[in-house]
Amino acid sequence: MLQVRSLNVSYSALQVLWDINIDIQKGEIVTLVGSNGAGKTTLVSSILGFTKASSGNILFKGKEIQGEPPYDIVREGLSLVPEKRELFSRMTVLENLTLGAYFRKDESSTDEIFHLFPALKEAKDRNAGLLSGGQQQMLAIARCLMSKPEMIILDEPSLGLSPKFVHNVLEAVKSLNDEGLTILLVEQNVRRALEISDRGYVLENGQIVKSGSAEMFLEDDAIKEAYLGI
Amino acid sequence: MEGIITIISQVVFWGLYAGCIYILLATGLNLIFGVMKIVNFAHGEFLMLGTYITFSFFVLSGFNPYVLLCASLPILVVVGIITERLCFRPILGTGKLNEIFVSLGIIYVFQNVVAMLWTDEWKTIQSPYKDITISWGSVQVPLDYFIIIGITICILIGLYLFLHRTSLGRAIRATSQNRKGAMLMGINVEQMDMLTFGIGAGLAGAAGTLWAVSGQVFNPYMGSIPAIKGFAIIIIGGLGSIAGAIVGGLIIGLAENFTSFTLGGAWKDAVSFIILIIVLIVKPTGLFGGKDE
Ligand SMILES: Nc1ncnc2c1ncn2[C@@H]1O[C@H](COP(=O)(O)OP(=O)(O)OP(=O)(O)O)[C@@H](O)[C@H]1O
Ligand SMILES: [Mg+2]
Repeated sequence: MLQVRSLNVSYSALQVLWDINIDIQKGEIVTLVGSNGAGKTTLVSSILGFTKASSGNILFKGKEIQGEPPYDIVREGLSLVPEKRELFSRMTVLENLTLGAYFRKDESSTDEIFHLFPALKEAKDRNAGLLSGGQQQMLAIARCLMSKPEMIILDEPSLGLSPKFVHNVLEAVKSLNDEGLTILLVEQNVRRALEISDRGYVLENGQIVKSGSAEMFLEDDAIKEAYLGI
Repeated sequence: MEGIITIISQVVFWGLYAGCIYILLATGLNLIFGVMKIVNFAHGEFLMLGTYITFSFFVLSGFNPYVLLCASLPILVVVGIITERLCFRPILGTGKLNEIFVSLGIIYVFQNVVAMLWTDEWKTIQSPYKDITISWGSVQVPLDYFIIIGITICILIGLYLFLHRTSLGRAIRATSQNRKGAMLMGINVEQMDMLTFGIGAGLAGAAGTLWAVSGQVFNPYMGSIPAIKGFAIIIIGGLGSIAGAIVGGLIIGLAENFTSFTLGGAWKDAVSFIILIIVLIVKPTGLFGGKDE
């Protein structure tokens, strides 16, 4: 579904990503592991077209998307829940969701979404900026789903959430995947993330240093030491 | 006592009417600033073009000049869209200095083209209702003031409905609140820039018609003073806030006319800036600004 080939990305003179190769199959859920500053956010924002790559290819459903603007990539069915959520904070929850379906002419309904996130239904007339951190994250995911994407990338969805919400968010991610959504998950709660994933990649200093099945990651001593705190 | 109330009411009406022009200018500036984060220093030239379009159609067709809003507004929307695409798009995000120089270039081009076509003499047209007044208590208010205030209210309501009730309007607001978020919704933000710039220019064009209809004189260089006041108003009201533009426009309109009545005309232009300075000292983000821009 998504292939990244020999991707190099720099911020002016500073190269941040080196020769990245990633392959994600339809229906998979894959975790990207990496310490702070490894370049995870840079990678996902390059995939979505926010950050220009200096070389390499990004293929989505077999089509080159590298160089396209983000709004066209989103329209092709690949969407992102960004690290900073990027909600429309002075609009209501309902307006945020409606915007999620902006380019769908069939006016995607909010019923399904409210079924998935009942807390949002209660808050539907409140301004997004007034929601709690957990609710904002729910809204960011819900808004992203409104466009009925085929694949989503979640950049640290549990960042800043209480443990209960972390559980909820990861449960929601799992159930979305069960329904057939392809997911790339960037997550600090590495253990929880790997438990719901098929595979994982490790990004260190801008390079993919390891890849394999989630079970293998959970057994790997080096990964245990570096990311699972054992 | 009766006399004072009469005079005060008259000054208030004058202020409201003058405020209308400022509100239309400042609302456009704020829409553009909200979406593109640029200040269009050439905004006064759109006002000036609006007056000349009204003038030309009036001379050529003899139509009621109010009807010519249907010409000035859409023509300026198109002029705005072209200006954005050709002049501002290429320099978006490259720094304030570029915006200033591009704006200066646009100002000179528009001023000189207009001066070439119509000369730079002062021009004026007259409203067909110029001699009609309406009694408001003991005050005689020109019918034109009522029409101008009414038209401005209609335009603002129309704009509100567009921004809040239509999908396209919502996309413009989304782009204004969070450009990155808007792109993630599949919104083509460059198109929103163009459209917003067009709407802002269209509002200035409408203000141009109202300016001309009210019998005020105009020449190719008339745009700069109203535009500077427009900038003062968006700073007073808060950058990007449309409510702020409306309140700021009214404040300036009223304050100007009270000062020219009490202190004399020489103070009229100064008072905008005195208010601006006071607001900046008390609330540097403007009256309605600084929520989460
Ligand atoms: N806009 C930018 N300009 C210059 N350098 C940047 C920019 N954004 C990120 N960087 C640098 O790129 C590197 C990778 O940052 P990035 O945000 O991609 O890491 P990350 O893995 O997402 O980290 P975190 O876990 O903190 O979210 C860091 O060294 C960072 O300082
Ligand atoms: Mg990050």
